[in-house]
Amino acid sequence: MDYAELTCFSNFTFLTGASHPHELAEQAMALGYRALAITDECSVAGIPRAWAALRESPVTLITGSYFVLADAPEEAATPCFVLLAQNRTGYGQLCQLITTGRRQAEKGHYHLPVADVENQALDHCLCLWLPPTADQSDLDSALACGRWLQGCFPERFWIGASRTLEAGEAQQLERVHTLAEQLASPVVATGQVYMHARECQPLQDVLTAIRHNTSVEHAGHLLFQNGERYLRPLPVLQRLYPAAWLWETVGIAERCQFDPGSLRYEYPSDLVPAGQTPAAYLQQLTREGELRRFPEGTPLPVQTLIRKELALISELNYEHYFLTLQDIVTFARSRDILCQGRGSAANSAVCYCLGITEVDPTQVELLFERFISKDRDEPPDIDVDFEHERREEVIQYIYQRYGRDRAALAATVIRYRPRSAIRDVGKALGFDPALVEQFLNGIDWRDKDTHWRQQILDKNLTRNPRIADQFFTLVGQIMGFPRHLSQHVGGFVISAGPLSELVPVENAAMADRTVIQWDKDDLESLGLMKVDVLALGMLSAIRKALELISRQQGRPFGLPDIEREDPRVYEMLQQGDSIGVFQVESRAQMNMLPRLRPERYYDLVIQVAIVRPGPIQGDMVHPYLKRRASQEPVAYPNDEVRQVLERTLGVPIFQEQAIKLAMVAAGFSAGEADRLRRAMAAWKSDGDLTGFRDKLIQGMLARGHSEDFAERLYKQICGFGGYGFPESHAASFALLVYVSAWLKRHHPAAFYCGLLNSQPMGFYSPSQLVQDARRHNVAVLPTDVNRSTWDHTLEGPDQQLRLGFRLIKGLSREAGERVSQHRPDQGYHSAAELRQRASLAQRDLEALAGAGALAPFSDNRHQAYWQLLGHERDSGVLLGEAPAEYRPDSAVALPVPSEGQSILADYASQGLSLQRHPLALLREQGHLKHCLNAQQLLDAEPGRPVQVAGLVTGRQRPGSAAGVTFVTLEDETGNINVVVWLATAQRQRKPLLTARLLHVKGIIEREGDIIHVMAGKLSDLSHLINNLTVRSRDFQ
Amino acid sequence: MLWLYLHFPHLLLDHLRRAHEAPGAMVIVSGPQQLVAQVCPQAQQQGVQVGMRLKTALTLVPDLAIHPADSAQETAVLAQQARWLYRYVAQIALCPPDGLLLEASSLRRLYGGLPALWHTLQQALAERRLTAWMATGLTPQATRLVARQGPEACEQEPERLKARVAALPLEAAGFEPRTRERLARLGLTRLGEVFQLPARELARRLAPETLAYIQQIQGLRPDPQTFWQPPHHFHQQVDFVREVEQAQGLLFPLQPMLAELEADLQWRQQDTDSLHLTLTHRDRDTTRLTLRTAGPEHRASTFGELIRIRLEQQPLAAPVVALALTVSRLLARDAPGGADLLGETTDLQEAWHTLLSRLQARLGDAALQRLAPEADHRPEHAWSGLPVQGRPAQPADSSIPPLRPLWLLTRPQPLQQTPVAWLSEPERINSGWWDGERVQRDYYIAQLPSGQVAWLFRDVLGGWFIHGWFG
Repeated sequence: MDYAELTCFSNFTFLTGASHPHELAEQAMALGYRALAITDECSVAGIPRAWAALRESPVTLITGSYFVLADAPEEAATPCFVLLAQNRTGYGQLCQLITTGRRQAEKGHYHLPVADVENQALDHCLCLWLPPTADQSDLDSALACGRWLQGCFPERFWIGASRTLEAGEAQQLERVHTLAEQLASPVVATGQVYMHARECQPLQDVLTAIRHNTSVEHAGHLLFQNGERYLRPLPVLQRLYPAAWLWETVGIAERCQFDPGSLRYEYPSDLVPAGQTPAAYLQQLTREGELRRFPEGTPLPVQTLIRKELALISELNYEHYFLTLQDIVTFARSRDILCQGRGSAANSAVCYCLGITEVDPTQVELLFERFISKDRDEPPDIDVDFEHERREEVIQYIYQRYGRDRAALAATVIRYRPRSAIRDVGKALGFDPALVEQFLNGIDWRDKDTHWRQQILDKNLTRNPRIADQFFTLVGQIMGFPRHLSQHVGGFVISAGPLSELVPVENAAMADRTVIQWDKDDLESLGLMKVDVLALGMLSAIRKALELISRQQGRPFGLPDIEREDPRVYEMLQQGDSIGVFQVESRAQMNMLPRLRPERYYDLVIQVAIVRPGPIQGDMVHPYLKRRASQEPVAYPNDEVRQVLERTLGVPIFQEQAIKLAMVAAGFSAGEADRLRRAMAAWKSDGDLTGFRDKLIQGMLARGHSEDFAERLYKQICGFGGYGFPESHAASFALLVYVSAWLKRHHPAAFYCGLLNSQPMGFYSPSQLVQDARRHNVAVLPTDVNRSTWDHTLEGPDQQLRLGFRLIKGLSREAGERVSQHRPDQGYHSAAELRQRASLAQRDLEALAGAGALAPFSDNRHQAYWQLLGHERDSGVLLGEAPAEYRPDSAVALPVPSEGQSILADYASQGLSLQRHPLALLREQGHLKHCLNAQQLLDAEPGRPVQVAGLVTGRQRPGSAAGVTFVTLEDETGNINVVVWLATAQRQRKPLLTARLLHVKGIIEREGDIIHVMAGKLSDLSHLINNLTVRSRDFQ
Repeated sequence: MLWLYLHFPHLLLDHLRRAHEAPGAMVIVSGPQQLVAQVCPQAQQQGVQVGMRLKTALTLVPDLAIHPADSAQETAVLAQQARWLYRYVAQIALCPPDGLLLEASSLRRLYGGLPALWHTLQQALAERRLTAWMATGLTPQATRLVARQGPEACEQEPERLKARVAALPLEAAGFEPRTRERLARLGLTRLGEVFQLPARELARRLAPETLAYIQQIQGLRPDPQTFWQPPHHFHQQVDFVREVEQAQGLLFPLQPMLAELEADLQWRQQDTDSLHLTLTHRDRDTTRLTLRTAGPEHRASTFGELIRIRLEQQPLAAPVVALALTVSRLLARDAPGGADLLGETTDLQEAWHTLLSRLQARLGDAALQRLAPEADHRPEHAWSGLPVQGRPAQPADSSIPPLRPLWLLTRPQPLQQTPVAWLSEPERINSGWWDGERVQRDYYIAQLPSGQVAWLFRDVLGGWFIHGWFG
């Protein structure tokens, strides 16, 4: 006996289906079904995963979708039916119908009226009608509904009948008979499947309860009466259904010939001029680029490389992909938007010539070996970063160039994570929500999986062990279940024809954004390409700095004008002087710089990648540093390993190296290595690496590697999971590290100005950046209505940094810009004139006064403000008249602000002060006796007890450092690094977590130029500065 | 005029903690950012502060109990405080969310001086385990502001009272954020400095309401108060942070309520013969219990005993999140209970209640019920007996009810005879995995040799049972 299941919901019918597509696929295989249709509601999002699972099996995958229409034909019941795609055309029609329905509703919903089904071409789809029950409508309306649907799908119409053994089934079957007779239509057996096995019933009930925002106990008749909606074994089906109905399923399955694997993705050919082949055009563009990049003639090795790459691109038909990227990058260039490509394919000579990357093949040959792998059947992957403030222009360009019907963002499937799973399952099981929330807040997620279960028991979430068991099981099951689709950060899919014939397009939460129903992995498994258009703040900062330098020098100054491999730049980095520099400005990176002592570009590539969970957890950092300092010999077990590890002195640092090692040192096949790579990428969400552990370690032992090295490599691979940092990305980032460091070293004023004008971005607040700028001898001038513009600017031949209005809290951008636009040549003379000329609202004026920007009019901030308030009511009268001289109010004299008051006012209105640091003041007042400042600490003797105090600017508990909290204190001379061990932290939680001004007694420790204070006693001194609005950055 | 102000810094917490024998550290959390709004002393000791993020608070005190802020609840609790204070003070004004203003001048004579009144109030607060910061002052607003700053000593000397107000920092003056910002930008730090500015100049620079407010603090502008009137019934509610699962658990929080009731009745010189208990459940209709005493009564111990017996008989339908005690039938102590002037009960409703009450007392509560459908697939859970009193339950849903026998056996009986005719296809019921009473059965309608039409099922182990009879 043969059977094909034709109605089946996967968990991509969110909060309804209780099995993953692959579980359904595998079960269908095990039961010996002929075919399985995945028919999620108005969606084909589950198809790629089911397809991947059934790829090499005898079970045919049928693509379909279930619909409930938004209205009904006249005097008929609301139609509920399943459409199955017969072929590629039918699939396109199905996608189009889903797109129509989804685009007419807000995110996550669909709206399909009868008219849409009547008007759209669906002649290559089969229709299975699921007639309404007696509860839902009377027989006449049911009949009318069937007639209408039959009219829409002549000769392609069946009535679906199910045996779910629920109450009222006999009547429904009777109705099916009547309808079949009246409509002269065939009946087909369908399982109405919601789960792959009966055991999933509790999970299905929980999903139903979550969907209806209730608990299983109160869900009542919302739950199914039994667990019969699963993939049943053939003998059971045979017992329940007439043979003819079962046979009908096979007949239908045979008419559905569409294979998702046949989907071919055509890149738009618009870019290729008429009469030229894509290959020739790409070659032409590359040649043009060569002339630009190598005006003295292309070096021979590069020529060879280009030839090799172009041949490979042609062989794999990737020309359009590169042309599309080239087009986007060219657009960005034409608008002066900085951009930079990264990824393995980006580091190619062709991409260098096309302007997609700036990584020069003559400088880092090493990187260009692995361009695109022919063996791995995997599309090239290039991410392009754009200036963060201007990425939207690029996105809109793509939409404009290709049209909304041909370009859309890839989706990101939002899945259940531990936190959401616990919350929703807890609610469904009727736990007290307050307890669940409290429990969630108290969980320490760093204690790995096993722990949160124990924590639940400890916390008494439930006292009933049976319910606790159910809870664990259900949370475990629901984890990784998709909840909804969201938009990918910047992955675009662009096609030659309408995209909606390839994959349904739906609305995203953001207006004017549309996403396709598949995510990155789905695209990859079907071999479709996407272009990643990402946003990077540092590119904005660099472009702004370059503009300032151009203005200063009176000629255009761009990236190519930056001198490469300047030793002074490396000298600066070696001292850990890297605040503001891309990627290496964090505290951990700053501590690494003096140890790693980068001397050339490739050292920066390593520097970027080494302070990451992968190498740290794999304990690879110290061996590398030792070998670099020649304190440990560099040795290789064999030549294969040498090839992989030579550029990192025999220590694996990059993700690619770890994978390559699995191949050469543990004997992984290319396919296994590729699976390992995917598992690593998915590890955080649902992947599991333990399956690879034994193979890796056994393989390495068998090949004569030490067990210790094998264990460390495995740990490193785990560390890469979720944070994978490949060399190909590090190479592009290292370039920006160098560029930003060069700017900091040679043009500090332009550098800080660019950074400050691109906020918020990076690791440091404007206050910290300004302090660092002043330590680098950049003169910083206060905001001033007669000098400043909205952005920060550089003034005069000495390049003094004038703070702009953008720092002032409560001042609108429009108002700030009007102040500089309408400023007379001689400047404003009074607040009244300013108010009138720049047509400022009282609010804006007050914000300016609060920031001290009205200093030209009065030297007493308080008095100036008093005047300003007094004239508020006059403002309307003055409009259009000559600027009134302001009338001094002699009656009231307000106190002259004290230094402390001014500092506080500065912080309150701009988050920073150019006056003395509050700590300097406190020290002068004698509050900080016996405390060393950051500068004095540099000369202090290691091992000695010291006292320090400062504003807390950072608290960090990195996952890679067990239990240690790093606190950064700021005083008037710099930053102080404090290390708090777990035991100390636990005893002194209150000051550690809440102090804004912290006093620390501790022991000084020093390693080279790196100084830490190991904390002993912590005291909260916040009361001394309680009004200061310095916000600490908490990383918990 | 002399005013006295009671500021309750964590009123809701005091209210919630009263229901616990050994309350742990607890906070009230409010707003979308989950900020700590009220802190009990125990939590404060461990470093939790108002305005802190909940996450930080939990890091400091991992087993912190949390309750969401609820302004309606808070106002109700505040009124509850006015009720007992009314026994000591006649003129009380509610200052939501957390303060009570008392007119003290007229009481000085009654209590023999302010210190005696002060002492009486403090004692009463301590008895009720309430934290209140008290302060005296010359105007309602000034008194309120001073009290909110922290506990103060008893003071009635006008000049010193004025100095207290003038010394208040601006942040404590209750200004709008915008006004506060303006005054700070003028370099002002204390309320007294604002008082010194000429009113005319101030009027140009601040909103008229703000000036009015400043003048009210100073007493330069009238600030009429509306005084609280006691309601004509007794109502008190207690809310639980952790749901109460056992009826026993309700007895402890009931005690202070009954003591309060006794004191209230005593003060009114009235009795009652019926108490209403309302038990609120999280997501289920509330349970209402009415208790009748044998005759007019006012003693807490009698009420307590009555309630204890009742709760012992009747297990809780679901965990309880709040408990309220209401008494609306107040009887003059000299009149015979429940009777009008003619000595006859004329109220039919009244008679019905009395009948039910007597039947319940004789037969026990469980004996009197009415039937209602329940939304559950399991036959034994698909109906329920509801208390006779109370509103009729809503119909569960509108769909056609499944075919079920009218007579459902309390317990399925093993099937002894082989049926002579099978009248239906199987109906499979597999549900209820969550509460330990899972049902996995195939049901059939069949005729037995006796001629009776029975509802049979076969369970998951293959045994056959009769579960009901069709007529």
